[in-house]
This record gives sequence, structure tokens and C-alpha cells, in this order.
Amino acid sequence: MCAEQIQEITPKQPAGARHLLWRGVLPEAVGLCFVAIIFTGFAAAYLVARNAWEEQTTAARQAEAARLATLTADAIGSGMQSGTATALLRQVAQRPGVHAIQWTGPAGEVRFVWPSPGHAVPTLTAVEDLTVAAANVRTPEGVLEGTLRIELAGAWDLASDSHLFWNWAIAACTTLIVFVLLYRRLRGHLRPLAALHQNLEHYAAGIERQLEALTLGDALGATAQSWNMLIREFAAARQQLETVRRANQTGDILTRFEGAIFRRVVDRLPFGVLCVNSDQTVTYANGSALALLGARSEAVLGQPLGEAVGAPAVAAAVSGAQARSSAGLAIDHTLTTGESETTLRFRVLPLSDEAAGGETLVSIEDIGQLKESERARDNFLYHVTHELRTPLTSIHAYAETLTRPGFDDEQTRKECYNVIMSETRRLSSLVEDILSLSQLEVGTARLDVGDVDLVRLIRQMVQDNLGAADEKRIDLTLTLPPKAPKVRGDKQRLSVLLMNLIGNAIKYTPENGTVQVTLTVSEQRVAISVRDTGIGIAPEDQAHIFEKFYRASNDKVQAVAGTGLGLAIAREVARLHGGDIHLQSEPGQGSTFTVELPVSNTEPAEAFAR
Amino acid sequence: MSRILVAEDDPHILRLIAMWLRRQGHEVLEARHGAAALALIEEQAVDVLVSDVNMPGVDGLELIEAILPQSRVRRGVIVLTNRWDHGEIRERLARWGVQVMPKPFSPTRLSELVEALVRAEGEPAESGENPGLAAGATEVQFVPPPANLPPA
Repeated sequence: MCAEQIQEITPKQPAGARHLLWRGVLPEAVGLCFVAIIFTGFAAAYLVARNAWEEQTTAARQAEAARLATLTADAIGSGMQSGTATALLRQVAQRPGVHAIQWTGPAGEVRFVWPSPGHAVPTLTAVEDLTVAAANVRTPEGVLEGTLRIELAGAWDLASDSHLFWNWAIAACTTLIVFVLLYRRLRGHLRPLAALHQNLEHYAAGIERQLEALTLGDALGATAQSWNMLIREFAAARQQLETVRRANQTGDILTRFEGAIFRRVVDRLPFGVLCVNSDQTVTYANGSALALLGARSEAVLGQPLGEAVGAPAVAAAVSGAQARSSAGLAIDHTLTTGESETTLRFRVLPLSDEAAGGETLVSIEDIGQLKESERARDNFLYHVTHELRTPLTSIHAYAETLTRPGFDDEQTRKECYNVIMSETRRLSSLVEDILSLSQLEVGTARLDVGDVDLVRLIRQMVQDNLGAADEKRIDLTLTLPPKAPKVRGDKQRLSVLLMNLIGNAIKYTPENGTVQVTLTVSEQRVAISVRDTGIGIAPEDQAHIFEKFYRASNDKVQAVAGTGLGLAIAREVARLHGGDIHLQSEPGQGSTFTVELPVSNTEPAEAFAR
Repeated sequence: MSRILVAEDDPHILRLIAMWLRRQGHEVLEARHGAAALALIEEQAVDVLVSDVNMPGVDGLELIEAILPQSRVRRGVIVLTNRWDHGEIRERLARWGVQVMPKPFSPTRLSELVEALVRAEGEPAESGENPGLAAGATEVQFVPPPANLPPA
């Protein structure tokens, strides 16, 4: 198995593979190493001891040989005259262990030799060797009488040698047995450690990705349990990380939101979010919630909900929703801080899953804007229905008249038809105006943009109004510059704008008055002004004159038919073209409406972008 | 023959009502706004006042308020309005006990109502019970706009 793995990983990690081979047999290798060390140690110790023993024995023998040689030489020196010397030497030669004796005179002559020439020199046994000692022979007077040489044959004491050997051998065996016992015991620990070692290497090399392989057997007891726990925790953490990583790659944005990020996102939501626990205590409030409540965080966090939001009804709704674990209704509460008043809408949303621990979410919205736009819409509807009823009333009444006997004379019938026709036209143009204005306001109006020749357009509009002006004997004049640039814009809507302004000027100017239409050109803008000598507009009405359905309460104004939409449309058209409209007026003196439009070089598509 | 004052700013409507009532044989006084109506009523008392509410200057409500204590209208007041769905206006008209005809109105119904007032027995009804009120114009055929209307 090991070999296969090695082959498998060789291309990747050759160095690591060699380590694996070595580490795979770790306990056995360690055991063998120890055995070898023990044996070598004991062998070396034995050799050293034996060497010492030999040296000691050799020295003793040499000392003995030297003593024997000296004593014998002295004895010979003192008994020189007689043959005592020879007899003494013969006696010495009989001592056990003496192998050979030779006395050489000062002139080199041999005076005594043993064994005598012709006698065989005794051979040494296998266990014997020779120790040689020499001493000078002197007479008592000190005359040198030659040199005595004695050879001693000594046998080695095999018994004590083998004793030494066995002593060491027994010590070595005992140590080995102890080691083997220890090793057997240790091997239980070493095996799993070695396996762990190997698996760790595999893990690091990327061969093995299962963390379970890194767990330890029970042999290591508490250590193994702790280690396994560590591994399991790590495996769980890694799995979690993997889940998050996968979610990051494939999951939607909410799956990716964790902790701090999620908190930051919730904090920046444009509506308030409160979390309330089962004790009705506020546990979380995002930035918008604090801003909407106009409170500091310490006045909200950790406080009872009713006090935090200053609305007991909200707290009651939360507890009701928690009891039924259903979404509570929306509660509108008006908050007064200083002079300002805000209407907040609270929605109660219990988090029903168990992880939330009975927490309830309360969202807060500022519905002041909503109420304002609801009011504006109601106002608009009210005015629209009112304005529509006026022509409808005429149409209805005259149509009914046509069906009645007694009204069937030619003149009455003709009058009825005429009124019905004109009121129908009025109704239709009113509907048209309302539609056009709401399109302009909402921004869904489609502008047919092109180069508009303003001079031509203004001429046309003045021409169209000449009839109406003549009826009232109004002097309608037009002043044009010698040269005028074209403007980019919607010709149709610009003509509506001019028609409304010129038409108004004629409508609100008494007979014999004047209406002057003037086009002036500057570098950036063109200005079209319509000046009349009409009834003028009171200062209090000037601020509202461009609002839809607004009509001055002046009698003279009310005496003229109108819907109050013309100027609102004119202003919307001017603004859509990147321009604007101004008013200058004095009651009784007349009014001047001035439309300013940017010259062609401004790209109108941008100017129209709302 | 009764004298009837019609106050209405829409010339078409004024002309139509006058035409109908004249054909019924009444004397009709025409006023284009409240101030004119007041001037006419000062000059001579009338049997019935038919008035619009929304008029320039002195409007219908101001007109009625001005003439009520003087009993210059002998038989009754009929109010024509396209603001019949306005809570405040409706309340005031009901308090005064005047007839209300929502616009668009039927000229036939209007002339019937005028006849009923003219022929009613007893004293005029501005300050007391108005015989025409119970049978009053209730031709509310239009869905009223939302209740929270802005002030007039």
C-alpha cells in the first residue's frame, strides 16, 4: 500500500515520498536502532573491560619476572666463587613457569643456559605466552659479572575471562529484555502516532482530504480524545467555511451577508428597523429608526418599546402579535418634536422561526410624504371632477331640453345643438389638457425633438390669434430680431405653450388693448415675451398662477372661461426644454410672461432628462 | 305668475334655466354673480331663488347667508352645485333647509321643483320647514370623490 502511494505521489513530491517511506516504518526502525545501539554498546564495553583485564595481567607477570630475575641475579652475584651459582640457577629453573634461563658473561660468553643445549625447549600451550625479564649480575664488590635473562611462561586464566564475558552478556540480555518489554508497550503508542504522521503528510501533500483520517485510536486514551475533538471541530469549521465559500460563489446576496456586513446594510436601510424581545425590550435599532424617532440610541436600546417609541399602541400591537405569533397591523402614530410633526407607520413582524428566540421586528416608515402626495392627488381629482362637471352640466341640460315638447322650435334647437357642440369641444380640450399635463408632470410625455424655427412658429401663432384679437379690437403686434437661432425642441408642445400665453393675453385684456409678442436673442438663450395691457395679476395670486387649476378669485378673471391648466402646461413645457417661464405683472396695468429657452447647442435630450 | 331670481355664472346654464322658467310663465331675473343677485333682490322681493354655489365675488353661500334674515325670498331657495359632494357645503345647505340640485341637473326636475315651491301652501320656508326638501333633488348619480377634500 505504501509503495502504491509512493508511486502515486512521486511525480508531485519526490522528497516527501522518501520521508513517507521512512516514516511509515517508524516504530520498527526505532526498535531496531535501539537494539543495535544496545548491542554495540555492550560489545564495546566488554572489549574495553577485557583489554583492561589483559593489560593488568601482563603487568603483574612482568613485575613477577623482573623480581625473580633481580633476586636470582643478586643470589648469583653473592655466590660467585663456588658452583653455588650454577646450582642456584638449576634450582630456579625447577620453579614452575620458568621456561628458559640464560646467564651471559661480560665478554658475551654463555656461563649458564637452561634448558641445556641438546635438550628440547618445552613448547608453549595455546593459552601460554612468554614474559621476559633481565637483570645485571654483580659481585658484592660491584664487579659486573654479566646479564641474567629469565623467560617465564604464563597461562591465561580462561575462567576469569569467560566470567567477564558472561557478566556482560547477562547485563546486555537483561537490558534487551527490558527494552523489548518497553518497546512492546511503546509500540501501541507509536503505531497510531506513526499513522498520524503519515496521514498528516498525505494531508499536507493534498492526497488525503478527509480529516477523519487524522483521528487517533483509543490506545492513546485522553490524549486521543482531545485530539479527535480538535480534529472534529476543525472539520466542522472547515465544512462551514466551505459552505460559505460555495454560497459566495453561487448564492444570492443575502446568503453572503454575514455578521458585520449584514448589520451595516440594515443600518443604512431607508426605513427604521427595531428588534424587540419577548420582554418588550428594544434589542436593536438601526440608524433610520433612531433618526425617525429623533432619539439617541441609549433612549431606545434596552428600553421598553412603549417608552422608546413614545406610542403605547405600538407596544400593545407587538405583544398582541407575539401572543398570536402573527403579523400585527400597521399603526400610524404622529410624533411631535418641537414644531415639526411626523407621521410614522409602524409594522409589526414577528420572526416566527426558533432561531430568533421570540424576537419581533418592527419597521418604521415616515408616511408624511405619502400623506402629502395622497392629499395632492385628492386635490387634483377634486378639481378635475369639478371642472369636468361644468361642461357636462351644459351638455346634459341642453340635450334634455331637445327631447322636451315645447322646445322644438328651430331657433331653440339650433341653440341647443350649438351649446352641446361647444361644450363638448371644451370638455374634450379639458380632458386633453389634463392628460397632457399629467404626462408632462410624470415625465412620460414623448417629446418629438427636432430643430424648431422659432421665428416661423411665433409668426404662425400670432397669425392664428389675429381673429380673436380682432373680435376685441386688440392690437396684436410682433417684434422679431433680424436673425434668430433655431432651438431644439418639440414643435407641437412649444406651439401649445405659445398658444396658451397669447390666448391668455387676449382673453384677459379688455377691448382696445394691446398684446405685444417679442422675441429677443442672447448668446445662450432666446426669450419670448408676451406683454398685455390686461387686468393684471394680484401679487397674492402671482405665486400660485402656474399651479394647476389655480384661477385668481378676481371677478374679471372668473368672468373669463378657463380651466386653470394653461399656464401649468406652459411652465411644464418650458422646463422640459431646459428653460423656464417668468411673470411680471401689476393689477390693472397688464402682465408680461417671458419664456426663456436654451439655444440649440444644448442637447435637449439631456435637458429633458428628469 | 311668480318672480324667480336665477344666479348662475355659466351663461349657457343661466340662459337655459331662464328659458325653461319663462316658458312655464314665470318672471325671471338673471344674475351672473352673487353681487348682482343681491342688488336685484334689494330692489324687489322674489318668490324663488335658484342659485349656483361657485360664483365669482359673492358666491352662492354668501348670497343665501345675506338674504336669509330678510325674508326677501318668499317661497324657497334652490341651490345648483357641482360641489354637492363637499362636506362643509352640504352641511350648511342642510342647516338652512334649502333645496339642493347636484350638477349636472335635469331642467325638467328643476322646473318641477320650482312649481312645487310656488304652489306650496302657507308661508315661505327659508326659516322653517321646506316642503320641497323631502322631495329634494337626490339625483346623485356620480360617485363622490374621496372624503378628505381640501377646504373650498
